[in-house]
Amino acid sequence: MPTFKLDGKSIPFEPGDTIIRAAWKLGIEIPHYCWHPGLTAPANCRMCLVEILPKPGQRALTLDILELDANSGEYRPVQKPKLQPSCYMAAVEGMEVLSDSSEHVKRARHDVQEFLLLNHPVDCPICDQSGECKLQDYWLEHMQTKKRMHDEPVHKPKGVVFGPTIVYDGERCVMCTRCVRFMAEVAKDPVLDMRERGNLNEIVVSPGRQLDGHYTFMTEHVCPVGALTTKDFRFKARVWFLRTAAAVCQGCATGCNAHLDYDPRYNKAYRYRPRDNEMVNKFWMCDEGMLTYKEAHDGRVVEPVVRGKAASVAKALDEARALFKGVAKDSIAIVLSAQHSLEDNWALRELGTVLVGSKSVFKSAKPDGYEDAILINRDKNPNAKGVEQLVPGVKALPSLLDEVQASRITHVLALGGAAMAEVEAFRSAKVVVVAAHAGPLTEVAAVVLPATSWAEQSGTFVNAKGMRQVSEKALEPLGASKPAWAQLAALATALGYEPSWTSLKQIRTKLVGGAADARAAAPSATAGQLGAE
Amino acid sequence: MEALDIDLEEGELELPAEPMHLNLGPSHPAMHGTVRIVLELSGETIVKADVQVGYLHRGFEKMCERGTWAQVFPYVDRLNYVSPMLNNVGYALAVEKLCGLAVPERCQWYRMALGELARVSDHLTCTGAMAMELGAFTPFLWFVKAREMVWDILEEETGARLTHSFGRIGGMASPPTADFKGLCRASLAQIVHLVEEGEKMLLKNRIFLDRLENVGPISGADAVALGWTGPCLRASGVAYDIRKDHPYLKYDEVDFEVPVGTKGDTLDRFLVRLGEIRQSRRIIEQSLERMADDGPVNCDDPRVVLPAKTDVYTTIEATIQHFKLVMEGAKVPKGEVYSYTEGGNGELGYYLVSDGSGTPYRVRIRPPCFQITGGLSKLIEGRMLSDIVPTFGSLNMIGGECDH
Repeated sequence: MPTFKLDGKSIPFEPGDTIIRAAWKLGIEIPHYCWHPGLTAPANCRMCLVEILPKPGQRALTLDILELDANSGEYRPVQKPKLQPSCYMAAVEGMEVLSDSSEHVKRARHDVQEFLLLNHPVDCPICDQSGECKLQDYWLEHMQTKKRMHDEPVHKPKGVVFGPTIVYDGERCVMCTRCVRFMAEVAKDPVLDMRERGNLNEIVVSPGRQLDGHYTFMTEHVCPVGALTTKDFRFKARVWFLRTAAAVCQGCATGCNAHLDYDPRYNKAYRYRPRDNEMVNKFWMCDEGMLTYKEAHDGRVVEPVVRGKAASVAKALDEARALFKGVAKDSIAIVLSAQHSLEDNWALRELGTVLVGSKSVFKSAKPDGYEDAILINRDKNPNAKGVEQLVPGVKALPSLLDEVQASRITHVLALGGAAMAEVEAFRSAKVVVVAAHAGPLTEVAAVVLPATSWAEQSGTFVNAKGMRQVSEKALEPLGASKPAWAQLAALATALGYEPSWTSLKQIRTKLVGGAADARAAAPSATAGQLGAE
Repeated sequence: MEALDIDLEEGELELPAEPMHLNLGPSHPAMHGTVRIVLELSGETIVKADVQVGYLHRGFEKMCERGTWAQVFPYVDRLNYVSPMLNNVGYALAVEKLCGLAVPERCQWYRMALGELARVSDHLTCTGAMAMELGAFTPFLWFVKAREMVWDILEEETGARLTHSFGRIGGMASPPTADFKGLCRASLAQIVHLVEEGEKMLLKNRIFLDRLENVGPISGADAVALGWTGPCLRASGVAYDIRKDHPYLKYDEVDFEVPVGTKGDTLDRFLVRLGEIRQSRRIIEQSLERMADDGPVNCDDPRVVLPAKTDVYTTIEATIQHFKLVMEGAKVPKGEVYSYTEGGNGELGYYLVSDGSGTPYRVRIRPPCFQITGGLSKLIEGRMLSDIVPTFGSLNMIGGECDH
């Protein structure tokens, strides 16, 4: 791999990489506002300027400038090197680049930062970006001086509603055009643009349009300052109180990597931010996915329910025992959930096929929905592939309905509340559900045991590409909820079996190896019919 | 701890008696700062004394790991709460050493003057309380009257009489007031006069002298072996004073002497403290002489020093600076440092570890009192019960410092 030198350090690069990208790949940051690894480079913020030393024998590229002599108060002509934007300059073998080690570069960063703050309002105390703002970070890293201009700053529109989700503040904007480029290049909907020049620059929405679609939240997340804010997060929390967990979005089968930001003081999730993963979602997430953080709280099952009434855990387990007492194993079906993690599903498969000995395995899932060619998958379940891996060829829920109607199945053990079909017919069966979220299945269940959501426990999800991804725990379990695998262990004990799993770690050791192992655990697996041996 | 109920062989004593066990403290008026001494007495003679600190425990060092570096100042105020300014300055110097900062000269003189005022207050409290515990109430009132003057000055300067939280990384919370020099000069003369008055009442008093002289002596070598520093060590004849031996601030530029004792008994410790009050006066007067009337007090480093409030409210640059320093804290370079100053009772050391963030990774205090209190049992064993109070009083144990 060819290399160049950055501040004396050797940096490998792939042909075509810019200086800033090659450095970024190594984790070295050259300060920047407008450059974004997932977007084209307009080189308009000038923060990433670097000094490129001339090749041996060549004359340096210089500029004639006038410099103020502080002693005499006179301007004198001097020369300074012409700095280059590192986001636009392709790296060249053997090139010598000075970033932090060049006085000219440091000076340039200081001055660019000073210009960017020239008309910036004193908004930090009321700005949602405060605490994760590039202007703040770079002031400390690269400027550190006081304001020199004491004239009235230029005023621009504030609180401009761009669309159903985004509000724009012209005064805070540094005109990096990341939002403009995101909409044009990634969302393929060039609805934003810049108008006027210089001081009067502002971002506008195309006449007759508003900023809508499936990728508007991303404009806020690419914004390096507080110019774009989402209506959803606006004035809701101060970011320094938030902690973050590496989560996997539950919105669809793409399995976008996300940061789930939550406030540990209130045990409440506040937002999703995309987590970079070149293999899955690159740097992006869709609006629908970003809002699924709300499902950590909305529509949850947090107390045990027996025949529609809240009950204690002990009572719910007693009821389940009474329901399943003396029932022939052939009349029992288990329903895995594409909404729950691999670990939860493994525990139910273990309980249903090994302990109970049922041969009827089905899966429940949310119905399909919108899809596009960018990120959004038609399958609205985060773990459909995982269930498929555990029980290859697992039957969908409608075929269980037929079985129930034919009275071949009288008892059902299910995971998750979601269902992609009308399930009223289940009322004739005895259904026990362990679920994090309410849904059609919890409606018809005789006993519902509360499970933690993905936000309250670590869990593995298999996305549409078959990649296993772990979503980490953020919140403490709500109400009486426990991880579904733990609830299933309690249920197994209540039904008179001895569960073979007591910890997440234990389940995971059995999951190692992927689908092959899953099959090995149930060797005679055929569609919906698992051998009990 | 050894069992205290050792069987004594009968017949060893003239009158066979069981040893008497007595708890002195932790809640006893003369056991300053909740210390407990478990005594084994034979008659009135102390056979064995088990000194137990730890009744005043706040998890001080752990608390420091929660906030920013600047938020440690209120905590160090509560170490030796009789001379909080010395703790403040000591901590500020430690962080500055880690940051490689030097405060302006004016600030250095200011810190010296304030620190020595705190030392005067410390010694007045110790000697006054010690006299009072032996029944001499009048000198106590004299000394506290003098201490009141010191506190008035500190209140004028900092707004608080006791826990000032006045130190800052890279300077002080505010520059000296216009009246500072005048107030100090006027008060110091009166303070020394009051000390002399008090001394006259005590040092010609037969009873007082008998209670102190040759009570609880310790040799210089023993004191060093115990890790003693400060007035208690100097009373044993070892002239070790950090201000002289490892000068910091501007201590190498002022004239002062280090009072030393000869026998290391309670009287020597009493006299050394009184001598130090006079030396502190000399230092303060020289500091005031040398301290400029204007000029910056805080060093000019935006990474650690807060901007002026008026700028914070009106300019974005200062708002950002304020935000970064308050919300994230000044970033202290990664590393570790041991910095030590002469506190009221001896070497006050801070061992700081920084992971480069705005929050201390570890703050370890080396309080002078901890080592000194460790030597108490050695001083009182074999002595009479009534010797405990003056001996313990002369060590000036401060509970807040012994928080370990």
